Amino acid sequence: MKIEYISRIQDENVKLRKQQFASFISQYGIQHNEASKYIESLFSKPLEKLTASQRRGRLLSELFIKSYNTMPDGSFKYHVVAWRSLFFPTEILYAMDIIPFTPEMTASQLAMSGIQIERVETAEQHNFSQDLCSFMRTAIGASIENMFPAPDIIVSSSHICDPSAKFGEYASIKYNRPEFILDVPYNIFGCSNPALKEEAIQYVTHQLKEMVQFLKENTGNDFDLEKFKECLQYSNEARKWLLRGNELIHSSNPSAYIGIKDLDYAANLMHTWGTKEIIDVYRLRYEEYLKSEPASEDKYRPPIHWYHLRPYYKNKLLQYIEERFRIVGSMVNYMYWSEMDISNPFRALAIKTLLHPAYCPVLLRAQITRSIICSGEGVIAYYPKSCRHFHSSARIESEYFRNACIPYLVIDGDCIDNRGDDFAVVQTRVDRFHKELLQQSKGKIA
Amino acid sequence: MIHDPQYIGWFCTYTPIEIIEAAGFIPYGIKEDSGAIHEDVYLGDSICPYVRICLGGALTGTYDFLYGVVISHSCECMRRLYDAWDYKQNEIAPQCLYFLDIPKKVDERSVAYFAMQLKNFKERLEQMSGAPCDEELPEVIREYNKTRLFFHKLFELMKSENPPLSGTHINALIQECMKSNRTIFNKKLGTILESLDNAEGYKGPRIMVYSAPGNPDVIAAIEEAGGVVVYNNSCSAYRFIGNPVDENGDPLFALARSYLEKTPCPRMLGTIAKTGLYNLKSIINDYRIDGVIYYSIKFCANLHLTAGIIKNEHDFGVPIKIIEGDISSEIDRREIYTFIKSLMTRKTTMTA
Repeated sequence: MKIEYISRIQDENVKLRKQQFASFISQYGIQHNEASKYIESLFSKPLEKLTASQRRGRLLSELFIKSYNTMPDGSFKYHVVAWRSLFFPTEILYAMDIIPFTPEMTASQLAMSGIQIERVETAEQHNFSQDLCSFMRTAIGASIENMFPAPDIIVSSSHICDPSAKFGEYASIKYNRPEFILDVPYNIFGCSNPALKEEAIQYVTHQLKEMVQFLKENTGNDFDLEKFKECLQYSNEARKWLLRGNELIHSSNPSAYIGIKDLDYAANLMHTWGTKEIIDVYRLRYEEYLKSEPASEDKYRPPIHWYHLRPYYKNKLLQYIEERFRIVGSMVNYMYWSEMDISNPFRALAIKTLLHPAYCPVLLRAQITRSIICSGEGVIAYYPKSCRHFHSSARIESEYFRNACIPYLVIDGDCIDNRGDDFAVVQTRVDRFHKELLQQSKGKIA
Repeated sequence: MIHDPQYIGWFCTYTPIEIIEAAGFIPYGIKEDSGAIHEDVYLGDSICPYVRICLGGALTGTYDFLYGVVISHSCECMRRLYDAWDYKQNEIAPQCLYFLDIPKKVDERSVAYFAMQLKNFKERLEQMSGAPCDEELPEVIREYNKTRLFFHKLFELMKSENPPLSGTHINALIQECMKSNRTIFNKKLGTILESLDNAEGYKGPRIMVYSAPGNPDVIAAIEEAGGVVVYNNSCSAYRFIGNPVDENGDPLFALARSYLEKTPCPRMLGTIAKTGLYNLKSIINDYRIDGVIYYSIKFCANLHLTAGIIKNEHDFGVPIKIIEGDISSEIDRREIYTFIKSLMTRKTTMTA
């Protein structure tokens, strides 16, 4: 273990994070000496009075401020922080008391607060192309402006999103911190060759074991196998409640359910897997939906499945959608993995990481939707142009769904960068799609 | 057994094409100018232009002479090329034969994993050709190593005060190499090398080009403006030549190692990616480079992010000009001309 190295990094981070926290809250007009008020405002309500969605927010806020070495009561405590790429599994990190920090998620938080564009422009002024994913540009800008908590380590996985992994390289060089790369083979979800599948599982399993060694060496934190198993068990438990909630939405349209709001759980992207608290969040989500009466049959709000994310900046689109459609399923909350086998924890986590349906051919992904979609339901895909992975899927999906008689609408937009937002253009297309779905349901009745 | 010459197209320089040749096929590099006139936006207008021209070429018959193609998992855009090719297969003559996954990091485990992928690839080719290629593979590797040796000698000559070849010449040779029979090409390259002893040299600001698949016009524009491209750090140039493959070990393992360890494309992650950037400094010193033109292909996230890393986190001691552009569109020659002129002025000032 590199004790001197770790000690030096932690000393550096203590100073850096203090400045960075001040820099972050100053964006909200809060002075450093008022930080405690800001923190109190995040945690003022008792936990038991919070809704599922609020509890999710509370958990994220807690993790967020901890990454600046600040506890919910305002006291100081050093936390080892790992910057992670968007799809990097988090269970091992929690098992080793390491706080994951996801730059993209913080970028969406900045967009919701309306303070993202300055960050985007900072990145662009520093030679980061306008073509780059706007989540990344926001995160880069915030890093350049010294707003994010300095990492102890960086963990990146190669799957799904190229810029997310490459951003790890930038962060590793900028902060001079060690980086671990989890190389994830492609299309194992759709692989029908058992030998190929097994090669890939073993490849990722071994890497996860190597990662434990990397984390031990570079953070000084211990690894406890039993704690790791416990974290996996939390994920299994949370999975169960998430799945139940999803099934309820699709089958009975509970009145407590607000489609757009439900997208914010974004379970597949979250760094909350492996925490005990997330079980409670998904259980409560399910219970809220269960307790509420089914919404009255609304023949003017046809059901749709939502692909990809939503715009996080202030916009007119979401409410407009909400008034016209019922979101009965979403890609971000789709439960794709089977319960993990705790007796073989590394292999189980490798399988969960590998078998991601977003990391397989477009057609296969569309086939999954087709298999769960019911008659009369459509698909709305909100694809940012700066996301090559999803935006490039649109034509194949469009043809596939048309052939399967599933109405499909692609909205070219952006989740973060609102400089090109043009609601009027999108509105016309949403109206036409709405009409198409209504006509389809009339035809069905006739 | 196959009888006629059968071409198999490949796209990414991380594809060990020795295996294709050993299996009795002729590897054919589909590069940035191949389907340029048929650019297609089936995959959207914000996907890498290289993928757009490759798909456009496929849909309009440019590659009909190919028996099939192997698409490598270089990046998020290339895997969509595979999706589209596969989805549109009934409109495209060459079969999409294989999707080759390639690790993004380099260590013993990733080399071993890649070697396993190459074994599967080899078996697929053997199924098609009807004959095992284990005996041929070492011989093909030797022939390809000969090409590498010749090219490395050429690259060495580019370090001289007045290099005997222009960047345009070298680029043309590399392009030819991608599509030629190696034995014949090696003879030609050997003869060219011998003839260069007394060749007159090229003068002008010494330029490194950094790109992925580049725009061939960039090199021409630089040299028309009075510069000399002494080092072309692109997938369609030096990265294609790569490192010699170990001829003594297990051939697939040796290929896996050699291809993964070569000068990295911005697709790579971790240590190899960082080392690749740090090594630019020594390349700049060794080749006495006066300036770098970083040609950032539109919509390539890996290139765009690397551009930012280079500009913000490295100091190579020479001016770096970042130009964003397409693969086949016209480039702004004035931009390049101004940069070369500024380098000339800088050189004169520094000498004075």
